[in-house]
Amino acid sequence: MRALRVALLHLRVSVMNELQYRANFFIQLIQSLISVATGLIVLALIFDRTPDLNGWTRPQLLVVLGIYSIVGGFFGFGLEPAVVRIMGDVREGTFDYVLTKPVDSQVLASVRAFRVWRLTDVVVGIAVATWGLVALPNPPSLTELAGGVVMLMAGFVALYCLGLIIVTGAFWYTNMDMVQDLFTGMYRAGQYPTGVYPRWLRLVLTFLVPIGLAVTTPSQSLTGQLTWQRLVALLGFVTALVVVTRLIWKLGTKRYSGASA
Amino acid sequence: MTYLRLYATLGRQAISTNFQYRLNNFMFLVGMIAEPVVYLVVWSSIAERQGGALDGYTPGMFAAYYIVWTLVRAMNITFTPFGWEERIRDGTLSGHLLRPIHPVHYDIGWFSGWKVVTIVMWLPIAVALALVFEPTLDPTWQQCVTFFVAIWGAFLLRTMLLWVLGLITFWTTRVTAMFEAYFAAELLLSGRLVPLDLMPGWARETARWLPFESSFGFPITALVGPISGRGLAEGLARQFAWIAVSALFLAWAWRHAVKRYSAVNG
Amino acid sequence: MGASGACIETTIRDEPRGHVGTLANRVAGVPGVIDVDGLTKTFRVPVREPGLRAATKSLFKREHREVVAVDAVGFTIEPGEIVGFLGPNGAGKTTTLKMLSGLLYPTGGHVRVLGHEPSRREAAYLSRMALVMGNRNQLNWDLPASDSFDLTRAIYRIGAADFAAQRDELVELLDLGAQLDKPVRSLSLGERMKAEIANSLLHRPAVLFLDEPTLGLDVTMQRRIREFLAGYNTRHRSSIMLTTHYMADVEALAERVIVIHHGRVLFDGALTDLAARFGGHKTLTVTLGDPDQLAHLTGGGFGEVVEVAGASVTLRVAADHAPAATARLLGEFAVLDLSIEDPPIEGVIELAFASGSP
Repeated sequence: MRALRVALLHLRVSVMNELQYRANFFIQLIQSLISVATGLIVLALIFDRTPDLNGWTRPQLLVVLGIYSIVGGFFGFGLEPAVVRIMGDVREGTFDYVLTKPVDSQVLASVRAFRVWRLTDVVVGIAVATWGLVALPNPPSLTELAGGVVMLMAGFVALYCLGLIIVTGAFWYTNMDMVQDLFTGMYRAGQYPTGVYPRWLRLVLTFLVPIGLAVTTPSQSLTGQLTWQRLVALLGFVTALVVVTRLIWKLGTKRYSGASA
Repeated sequence: MTYLRLYATLGRQAISTNFQYRLNNFMFLVGMIAEPVVYLVVWSSIAERQGGALDGYTPGMFAAYYIVWTLVRAMNITFTPFGWEERIRDGTLSGHLLRPIHPVHYDIGWFSGWKVVTIVMWLPIAVALALVFEPTLDPTWQQCVTFFVAIWGAFLLRTMLLWVLGLITFWTTRVTAMFEAYFAAELLLSGRLVPLDLMPGWARETARWLPFESSFGFPITALVGPISGRGLAEGLARQFAWIAVSALFLAWAWRHAVKRYSAVNG
Repeated sequence: MGASGACIETTIRDEPRGHVGTLANRVAGVPGVIDVDGLTKTFRVPVREPGLRAATKSLFKREHREVVAVDAVGFTIEPGEIVGFLGPNGAGKTTTLKMLSGLLYPTGGHVRVLGHEPSRREAAYLSRMALVMGNRNQLNWDLPASDSFDLTRAIYRIGAADFAAQRDELVELLDLGAQLDKPVRSLSLGERMKAEIANSLLHRPAVLFLDEPTLGLDVTMQRRIREFLAGYNTRHRSSIMLTTHYMADVEALAERVIVIHHGRVLFDGALTDLAARFGGHKTLTVTLGDPDQLAHLTGGGFGEVVEVAGASVTLRVAADHAPAATARLLGEFAVLDLSIEDPPIEGVIELAFASGSP
């Protein structure tokens, strides 16, 4: 498991690096609080006018907000920096350094950069989600809790796959900034359960830009709205996505090595 | 009027340059519509739940509001306050300081040209959104004229406001939290999140004393309504007043920023 | 050695305080294009010590240390002069140029360029001067250079006729004709540099400040830039002040040099005087055909032995003695290779201190 060791090493370096800038922790914490506060104000505005949003009650939406923050936190902590780094490397031509190392290139490229203080989003998110869970009339059972955690991880894996596919696109077509802009914009749509959206948008947010999958599905499990069948089906989808992503990565790196002679 | 040639040249070159990146611009706009679509869907569903209208806003009016929102938002995007750190670091600022014009002209002129390309790229998106969400839109010609003036006024106002905000970078680089707090306040009190009519009373009161509404909510409401002729005139007057105030503030803040820079960095 | 050492030190230190006579005969009291007197710049630098305790302490009480970057520098530059501003890294050259261009406020002293006080950044002043620093990127990369020139014209409010004349002249002098209509992105580094320089001079400044203009360029490019600057100076009588590490820049362009080190002016005068005063020696490198004769050479009093590498010996010889020493070497030994070099400028300056300190 050399790959895991490499990942932990990178993580340790990042942590030591960022611990030097302790002020950044407070700045990041304030930012997380501002984000969540804004979300809470919006929920307050909504529930001032209506007892539920498309069937979702206030505590349930608190859970959604919390999960959204958690996903965003992990995204900013591990995925986004890695993706940005890969894009930069491809642009500058320094991606060769990744390919010539004796560690699997996909793993290496994915674990190189971490922004430790973004985890404040995760902490704040957990707090908000817990608040929501506590306020629920029927707190989640152990299986529902487990299902939530599983779907959270699955959703994050799906986002990771999307990120990697976009980045691999850079091997063919270097100007992927456009696509990045597009997907960054759509990310915000994950803040509400996908049921609110028209069907076509719901499908897009679950299977194409899986932020909907990453946020709505764990929330559904935690609030007792997720069926076994659906969970299994989505896990199957994510597994297939992982396989496809790996294939695309392999194709992409082969193309890159061929192109940059 | 010697600034005329400068603005004309800047505008022209901004259009040429950004036309080369029209696809990038288009994709960015497409990504941007996620935000208003989310708001639109959420508020429309609440309206339907309340029996068809929320404080007088039907789903059709929400659709109109948020589709026009996309143009106003695009016109609002300007030189980011986060950009000053790089400007200082990579020598661009020194380059500006060596030239005999105030650098704000450069930003205003350049972004104005960019906006022309933005508007052109926005039109097909607006049509697509209109087909999907079926907005109720029926403005008078006075509203249309006011709208056209107001979106450029909004651009000018927000450019100056964010310019001044960015100048904080001259005193400290720990600016992220401050900027985010500004943007959060702006989100809630400008009409970006939801029409200000729908915000609670205290929020509406606070918004009257701040420039955010003039740069966002007012242009939208000018076109989408409901608004009286008097409301249009008042809104424009307020916008111009804020522009004047920010211009004065900018001149003052810039003088101090340059002093600070020239004492330390050069 | 002590007495003459003190003599050199006095000469170095005292001479530059106040105004120094320039090569051209000056009428006393008439100000030059650039007038600098007692110019000083002090920076307050935070002191940061390693370790956790020091870091925590620094959260509450920040300690500062004063760094004098420029120390009572004074000189006067006449219209049409080209002056080389020499000194090692960190000597204060760039800081001085920034104060002359208005980018940095002096901490003390007095500076006037073209009758203006640079730190006031008056539009009238900025329109008549130019500061060119190597890594400046003023051109729009997505558009042809001619578009950027048009923008510069608009910024400096240059009239149509003046603009056409100046642009054509610059394009001709810098050989830019073929590159004007291609996007700047597609130009080579050298072509881009030429275009940047042209862009900086479109407003025909009366005073040019150039910070290491030939840094990082290949030899051909360097020569072309030097030729251009010389030609520009001849045509327009603009005053040029350039900082550089390259002796070749100075030799080609500047009759007068100002040497600065540790923020102080060490020397201000003709280039030939500088070489004579501090560089009064030459470096001889001899490669012997018969390595056994090495000891005879090194012990033979030909000059100060600097280095021995294999069969090669490097000697330092007083400049006047160099011809005689060379003749002797060639006569007494079987010489495979012999070279005579002027000392590099940094070496000259370092030597100046070495001889100046007690």
